[in-house]
Formats: sequence, C-alpha cells, structure tokens
Amino acid sequence: MARIIKVSDLNYRYPDGTTGLKDVSFEVEEGETLVIIGANGTGKSTLFMNLMGILDGDGHIEVMGLLLNKINLKDIRRGMGMVFQNPDDQLFCPTVMDDVSFGPLNLGLNADQVTEASQKALALVDLQGYESRTSYHLSFGEKKRAAIATVLSMNPRILLLDEPTSGLDPRSISKFINILYTLKSQGKTLLIVTHDLFLTQEIADRVLVFSEEKKPVAVGDYKEILNNYDLLLKNNLVHQHRHRHDEVVHEHEHRHGYIHKH
Amino acid sequence: MKSTNSLLEKLDPRTKIVSFLSIILCMILTPITRIRDFGLYFLLILAIGFFSKITPGQILKKICILIPFVLFIAMFVPFIKEGNVCWSLEISNWKIDITYEGVWTFFNIIVKSTLSIFLLVIATSTTTFPDFLKGLDMLRVPRLLVMLMSFMYRYIFVLIDEARKLMRARSLRYFGSRHKEQFRAMGYMIGVLFIRTFERAERIYSAMIIRGFSGEILSVKRFRFSSMDILFMVGIIVSLVCIVSGLVNKIEHIRVSGAHLWQGL
Repeated sequence: MARIIKVSDLNYRYPDGTTGLKDVSFEVEEGETLVIIGANGTGKSTLFMNLMGILDGDGHIEVMGLLLNKINLKDIRRGMGMVFQNPDDQLFCPTVMDDVSFGPLNLGLNADQVTEASQKALALVDLQGYESRTSYHLSFGEKKRAAIATVLSMNPRILLLDEPTSGLDPRSISKFINILYTLKSQGKTLLIVTHDLFLTQEIADRVLVFSEEKKPVAVGDYKEILNNYDLLLKNNLVHQHRHRHDEVVHEHEHRHGYIHKH
Repeated sequence: MKSTNSLLEKLDPRTKIVSFLSIILCMILTPITRIRDFGLYFLLILAIGFFSKITPGQILKKICILIPFVLFIAMFVPFIKEGNVCWSLEISNWKIDITYEGVWTFFNIIVKSTLSIFLLVIATSTTTFPDFLKGLDMLRVPRLLVMLMSFMYRYIFVLIDEARKLMRARSLRYFGSRHKEQFRAMGYMIGVLFIRTFERAERIYSAMIIRGFSGEILSVKRFRFSSMDILFMVGIIVSLVCIVSGLVNKIEHIRVSGAHLWQGL
C-alpha cells in the first residue's frame, strides 16, 4: 500500500498561546482506517483542522503526495473531506439536497453529474427521499448521516471523521458503523477521531493514541493498543469502574463501550 | 409548506416575485381615494388566490394572525394626524380629536396592508423559502443579502433552541432573587449566545471552504420560464395597466346604444 498522509513534527499553538499540538508525527497508508483516540482536549480535532489547512501549524504535512501549502490546498481538499463533530456546522444550506450538492457544484461538475453524485451519496447513507427536507427538521442521527453525504458526494479518497458516533443511540451507531464498513470496502482511507473504544475495536486497522500533553504517545495495531490497559488508563481512556455484587464491592479498569462479564 | 399542486406552485419563483411585487407597488402608489381601484386589486388577488388552490379558511387564518399587528400600528393615526376635525372628545383638560385626514390615512394603511398580506399569504403558501431565495438570486438581488437570508432561515431555529436551553438552565437555578440580578443573568446569557453564535459561524465557514466555497452558493436546481409563466406575467401586467391607467373606469363610460357598456353586458 502507498503512503497517503505523512505528518512530521507538527506543532500548533492557539492565538491565546495555549498548546494545541506538540511534535505530532505519523503516517497513513492508502485504504487504511486509522482511529485517533485520546481524552477530551488532547488536540485530536485540532489535528484534523491542520490536516484540512484550516489551522496553520508549524511542521510538514503531505497529503496524496502533495505538500500542504496554499498552492496545493484546493487539490488536497478535492481529495480529502472532513465531517465535523456537530452536523449543524456541516449542514448550512436550506435543504439536504443543497447541502449534498454544495461540494460537487464547487468542484465544477455539471448539473447531471452533481445530481448523480448527490443521489449516490444519499443512497449510501440511506437518506433517499430526503432531498427537499430542511436539515433542521432531521433527527440527530439523520443529520450525522446527511453530514457524511455532503462529503461523500465529492468522492474523496480520504475521509476525516470527527467524533462520528457521539450523541448517537445504539441503533444509529450500528447504522453508522455499517456505512463506515461500506466506505472501507470501497478502498477509502478513513481517519476517525473518537474516544469510543467500541467503535475503535469495530473499525480500526491501526490506532494512534493522543496524550493530555497534546502529542501522540503510541501507534500500532488496534488489538495491541486496546489490550494495553496501562496505556489506556494513563491516557484517561479507561477508568476505575466500581461494582457491587450483593455485599461485595470491587473495582477494576473499564473500557467504555465494551461488554464485559464478571 | 403543504403542496397543493396548483398552477401557482408550478410557476417559476421569479415570475411570482416580480408579479407580486408589481401588484404591491401599484397598490402602494394608488391614492386611497380611488376606492374602486382597490376593489379591482382585491378581485385580481382573489383570482390569483383561486389559482393557488388554497382554501379561503387557510388564507383568512393566516391574515388574522398578521392583521392585529397592522391594526396596532394604524389605530393611533386618526388621533395624531392633523387636519379637519370630524369628531372630538373632551375629558377634563384632555382633548382627543379625530381628523378626516387621519381617518383616510388609517384606511390607507389598513386596506393596502390587508391586500399585501393577502398576496403574501398566497406567495408563501405556493413557494418554498429555498425556492424563493433561488428566485431572488436569479433576479440578481445582492448575493450577500440572499446568503444572509439563507443562513437566517437555516440557523434561526438553532439559535432559538440554544437560547431556550440557556433560559431553561437559568430558570432551574432561579429561586426568586432580585430583579437586578436577573437582568445581570440575562446580560450574561446574551453574551454567551453571541459568543456561541460567533464560534458556530467560524465552524460553518470552515465547513464551507473545505468543500470549495469561493463566495458563491451554487445550486443544482434550475428554473426555466415556461409559457405558463409568460401568460401569468402578461395577465398581471395587463390587469395592472388597466387598473392604474383608469381604463376600467373609461370603459364604463363608453355608451353602447345609449346605455353604459356595463349595463349592456
């Protein structure tokens, strides 16, 4: 597999001086699913903003063989789409169809191509028949799926998903994971930011762990990372879980989303 | 908007915007003393209403919601406008005069507003807001204005929701403290709402530029003028010319075999 993303020594500071990212380096292969896990405020979303060129950090970012700079930004954004955590930020047009067709229209496709791409994207997220619906009137799960469709209609090679399952009920999560499987089977490269270890276990090829110092502390196969309790505990991804069995109370580490027996 | 599958619904939004604005403009410029003209305007709007397939009950219901606002604004005019006094009331040192000019102005506001609202109700019942915006854009209304309207339509309810959440959070912790404290809390809430809106705007803009936004919101939906649009527009223009030029009045005075034309008909 060819390398599709390369990040070296990326640092970012917010305008108020707070550190956003510190010495971030990693690589992603084409068609791979890399799940980036970390506690709240560890810089995972900031990393995505840097990858998309919205925030301008210091360091070296290479996407699809192109160096991330002003000249290549348009080409990079043609091939890499991002789905925001809050779908209300992604769905800004009056109707679902307007939102889904927004990207392809800006790519310069003609009306027929745009309609075809939009319909295809809506079908993939199971939202056919929602074209003229107002985004505001959709349920949260539908909004999340519509938000993915807005990016899929541009047919990107790489997809960045920021907390895709947050706020979803179990059935919607299951639907969402099915969509991710479909995208994976189509050969898309997926980068997913989450602290949902259940989703990580379901979808990840490799896992990158961010520490509270805003830098990656581990990267590797998902089984290897998810079985490293010390690493997960240290980085606030598992916590001491208290149980009461009649009169006996005991504690052990607990990974969110995992079904565990005693 | 409930689909009525009417002729008016099928028309290009540009046709409706131009036609309805022309009618409103003509009505505004017609002096209220030409009462018969307003009767004709009413008939014209009634005919448009007939093509919209909206029931009179639906129209009346919507008009009744808006008319009280107009009434509230207009009700003071007969007392304020100076002119020939037609009725006067004295209560100790207070004197209230109603003038003829004031009454005419009151009627002027009420009649023109009611007819305009009638037309507005028909327009909103037969055109979706996104189509209306696209119509405005295609009529070369400044793009920034259209985009602002579009965002307002999309996010007004999101903002109302956010404001409601803040109000709820406040009310859950409000145990009847002094009013001054409440005003301060309200000030904080407005501030928080402003900051959240500002941050949201930044995120939305990011989402837009990521998907290739370059200052213009494009749409896949295309509108085309049909023969129906042309027919409708011509019908409206001819009707307005007849009313405004007084042609209807002139026709009335044409005598056919010694009798008025109307009588002949």
